[in-house]
Amino acid sequence: MECTLPTGQSRNSASLGTKLKRIRPWVQTAFLGVWLAPLGTWLHGIPGCVFHCYSCPLSSFACPVGVAANYAALLPATLEVPYLLAGVLLVIGAVAGSLVCGWSCPFGFLQDLLGKIAPGKVAIPGWLGNGRYVVLIGFVVLLPLLLGLDGIPYEKQAVSICRLCPAGALEAALPYSIIGISEGREWAMSGLKMGVLLAFLVAAAVIHRPWCRILCPLGGFLALFNRISLFHLRFQAEECVECNLCRSRCSMGVRVDQKVNVTGCIRCLECTTCGALEPTLAKPQDPPGQGPAPRG
Amino acid sequence: MRNRVAQPPINPFARDTERHEFWPGFVLALVGLVVMVCGVRHLTNLETLNGDTAWETQLVKAFSTGGLQYGGSAALPRPDDLMNPTIPRPPSPLSGRSAPADGRSKVRVNTEAKTPCPT
Repeated sequence: MECTLPTGQSRNSASLGTKLKRIRPWVQTAFLGVWLAPLGTWLHGIPGCVFHCYSCPLSSFACPVGVAANYAALLPATLEVPYLLAGVLLVIGAVAGSLVCGWSCPFGFLQDLLGKIAPGKVAIPGWLGNGRYVVLIGFVVLLPLLLGLDGIPYEKQAVSICRLCPAGALEAALPYSIIGISEGREWAMSGLKMGVLLAFLVAAAVIHRPWCRILCPLGGFLALFNRISLFHLRFQAEECVECNLCRSRCSMGVRVDQKVNVTGCIRCLECTTCGALEPTLAKPQDPPGQGPAPRG
Repeated sequence: MRNRVAQPPINPFARDTERHEFWPGFVLALVGLVVMVCGVRHLTNLETLNGDTAWETQLVKAFSTGGLQYGGSAALPRPDDLMNPTIPRPPSPLSGRSAPADGRSKVRVNTEAKTPCPT
């Protein structure tokens, strides 16, 4: 896509942004080699930084969302601080923010692939992104805690994030049900999980990354770091030709032409093809403070 | 190829550069690293079935393998029973009231558990 300048001339996309766009699917594919248990499950004691069910036969790390919900349910019995979980998410968030969502999350990658099935996409309003924080506080913290207070262990809670999670349905319940059938047992996947999975698959075909945009508690949490993370996107006023290619490129519906380091961004870096937005790392020698670019 | 979104009038030089400072992110990452190392070395309040103290890594692994065992799990009420006021509710293994006097929880970690999908 070319930028059309106000003068009627055109300018090609920025070379760095074009390269990033080209290599992103390959990077996402390469990260599958990290998350899909290439070395077995001996790292299950460490929470990962992406959305991938820990009950999946192919999972290297523990799911951070499931771990957080388990800690919340355990709280009435014993006050355990999730140091590992907090540490992993703090490091990833402070260094990269939601970059992992756009470049390494296997569930995000799956939605990218499902999104290629149907050409047109339904636009959704930006405020739906707050659903991620409702899920985070309601389903990951409060619900397991309240049911835990009522004496119900997390595994026995009839309603929980793990029971409603489409990643759990696709990556754990479905393969174990298929394995069970092949070994002569009954189909183990509940009707609720099959419904969740079906709804997710349909939604992912017609909306770009519906789970990430509306419901993902992990993405919502990591996106909170987008305003301070070392890796960030910087606006270069002198490169901007007011073509709005940046905003047109954004499949997450972020108003990139106004502000880019926001919670709705998954840092896929598609907007950098315009050339005015530059992916960069904060450096100690950078002058302090934000503000408009100096003119000229 | 997506349709181009119409550009509202903007002044690029009036827009924030959104440059991030180095130190807040660096300090937060450093704190996270220290907390992570603490987590790897952290002994929890829970016991394993062998009577040892469970490491945090063992606890996290137990979440994904159905490895948490509750002291009075046989007496745990079913969700249906909880809704029925005529059935007396036994003390919960998760409630602080039933915690042993030595401060240890009645929840134990089975490090050998391998339940594929606990939920």
